[in-house]
Amino acid sequence: MNREKVVFSFFMILALTLNFGFYAGEVDNPNHHNVYELFAVIIVNLIATVLKFGDRSQMGAMLLATSLVALVQLFSASIVWAYVVNIQGNPMTPDTMSTIISLSGGAMIANFISVILLIIETSMMRH
Amino acid sequence: MSLVTSLIMRQMRVPIIILIMGYAISILGMVIAPGFDDQGNPWHMSFFDAFYFVSYTATTIGFGEIPYTFSNAQRTWALITIYLTVVAWFYSLGKIVSLVQDPLFREALKESQFKQQLERIPGTFILICGFGETGHALANALTEQNIHTVVIDENKNIIQTLPLENFSLVIPGYLGDARDPEKLIRAGLQDNKCAAVIAVTASDETNLKIAVTSKLLHPDICVVCRSELAEFEDNMFSFGTEFVVNPFETFANIFAMAMHSPALHLLYDWLTGVPNADLTNPIYVKEGHWIICGFGRFGSDLYKQLLKSDVQVTIIDPSIEKRDAFLNRPENKGNDFIIGTGFDAHTLTVAGASEAVGLVSGTDNDSNNLSIIMTARELNPDLFIVARHNKKSNEKLFAATNANLIMQPSEIIARKIRTLLVSPLMIAFLNKARNQDPSWANITISRIMGALGESLPSIWTLHVNQEEARALCQVLHLGRVIRVGNLLQDPRQKENQIAAVPLMLKRNQKLLLMPTNDIAIKSGDQILFCGTPSALRSMQWSQNDLHSLNYIMTYEDTPDSFVWRKIHQFLKRNERRHRPRQKRHLMK
Repeated sequence: MNREKVVFSFFMILALTLNFGFYAGEVDNPNHHNVYELFAVIIVNLIATVLKFGDRSQMGAMLLATSLVALVQLFSASIVWAYVVNIQGNPMTPDTMSTIISLSGGAMIANFISVILLIIETSMMRH
Repeated sequence: MSLVTSLIMRQMRVPIIILIMGYAISILGMVIAPGFDDQGNPWHMSFFDAFYFVSYTATTIGFGEIPYTFSNAQRTWALITIYLTVVAWFYSLGKIVSLVQDPLFREALKESQFKQQLERIPGTFILICGFGETGHALANALTEQNIHTVVIDENKNIIQTLPLENFSLVIPGYLGDARDPEKLIRAGLQDNKCAAVIAVTASDETNLKIAVTSKLLHPDICVVCRSELAEFEDNMFSFGTEFVVNPFETFANIFAMAMHSPALHLLYDWLTGVPNADLTNPIYVKEGHWIICGFGRFGSDLYKQLLKSDVQVTIIDPSIEKRDAFLNRPENKGNDFIIGTGFDAHTLTVAGASEAVGLVSGTDNDSNNLSIIMTARELNPDLFIVARHNKKSNEKLFAATNANLIMQPSEIIARKIRTLLVSPLMIAFLNKARNQDPSWANITISRIMGALGESLPSIWTLHVNQEEARALCQVLHLGRVIRVGNLLQDPRQKENQIAAVPLMLKRNQKLLLMPTNDIAIKSGDQILFCGTPSALRSMQWSQNDLHSLNYIMTYEDTPDSFVWRKIHQFLKRNERRHRPRQKRHLMK
């Protein structure tokens, strides 16, 4: 058992499940999407990315790439949120919500690919 | 990703995760903690406000309670935030600083810097193992000739001060023991650009190990070794080391040369010296009674040479075993062996210093040698003195003694190796010159002096091939005849001669000494020249630039561009129609 891999798998899968939790629901309904969940996704994804720093294997580099993609998507989503609500001072509208959700949907696909890569890597191991 | 960056990134995982966790917990707490706005209504910080607050608190900037005055719940959490994030920052910064100071990391950094320097070297380089006096002199001479070198040495100070020294090219230095094959490989032994390995460490054993390693790991490389003991020398040759340089033997040969033909010795001195130094004067070694103080490797090698010229020799050495061995050999009959050190006047007088013509002070101790020279000079001011100079730091002292010939091992080795590597034809030239009669050397010397004047010449070899003499090859290909004399014409003013003398021509393994000006050049020839640096530049013009060569060969200045070429051809055709014979005559 490789502890490094287990810890990384934990954060990667947690990122995917949280991401799904945030994404699920009607696209333009602010009540269906919790801001705490978005925060948790970002933090967990950040940790998963940092855990792949300095990995010189091909698979490690791929995983770093996919989680960086997810991070870019999630950061965009949170910037949109902060811009509309905190900078412009408007209340959350269905328009804005659907933008945020579609961005987080992209992040979910990136996280999904990460998990698939993780499964491939695990199944390729002999023991 | 390079090894160093991945090493840093890997080590930074934990500090960064701790920072992320610290921030995450603090932000979440600030959002959850209940507060009031300016009207007293219940209010929660947004993630945006919380991130702002934590950011300026964690970095100890501290803007205060923004946007509304905090409630007690918020203040409690702010306390936790302060301790959590500030400690997390200190921890992470400390970790990163200690990582940068980690010896392993620094080594990795230096190694990657060295690798970059190696990659930046254009063309080939020569790996010098051991950067003592010899290595230093060699690196200096080779970089002067625009040849790149790389140094490996196990002395940290030497490698660290390498960038501070004033070489004309950057010399990458690798810190490591050259006996370790792994280190040699890292220093660039197996690099395709590595053309030669020079093993000039102080120990013969190390040099042997380097030679073996180089021959095994990079078989087609040229290996040059320094060796002072005969058994190592044979061993080095046994597996194909190209050149083994023994300072004592080399000096003994030079000494013999000076003894038999002062002119030849002078020629040798000029042609192998550092370019642009002042011309040296000839040395006349007298025949008669010689005294050798110190019968070690140096003394016995010189003795062998003196024996050949049938002079009487007295040896002074403190070793009784050496005397017995000496007296037992039949060929030593007639020569004395006195037990003593040589630096006291008594021994020297017994040895006959006042009537002798020459004295060799050849012990391995510089103070003894200096003392011998001083005492001997007092007894007999006309003595021809050969001094063995061991440590470079004593250079000024030996120069002050006015010894006629000074043997400095590192200088001799550097000179020989430089000649071997920079102008291999020069060795063949000197070997061939040795078999000529003495007047030949005199004529050659006066020719070189007449052409070059006051300073030592540069030596270069002209290879008549596509890469080095493009224009020359093109013209030869057309069937025109170019003679050696044409190359000596100045491409700016063809009536003038450039300051260069052709020393030797090599064609199909045949060597021709001092080729005359009327010899026609063929493709594949190698010609050894000596001359001033500006003559070398002029010659490079005529061998590579078609215009210059055309100018030397004819009076025509041919145009380069397509349109002008066509116009020129048209004009020439018209001209030829009028006087075809004359034109053809001019072309030759």
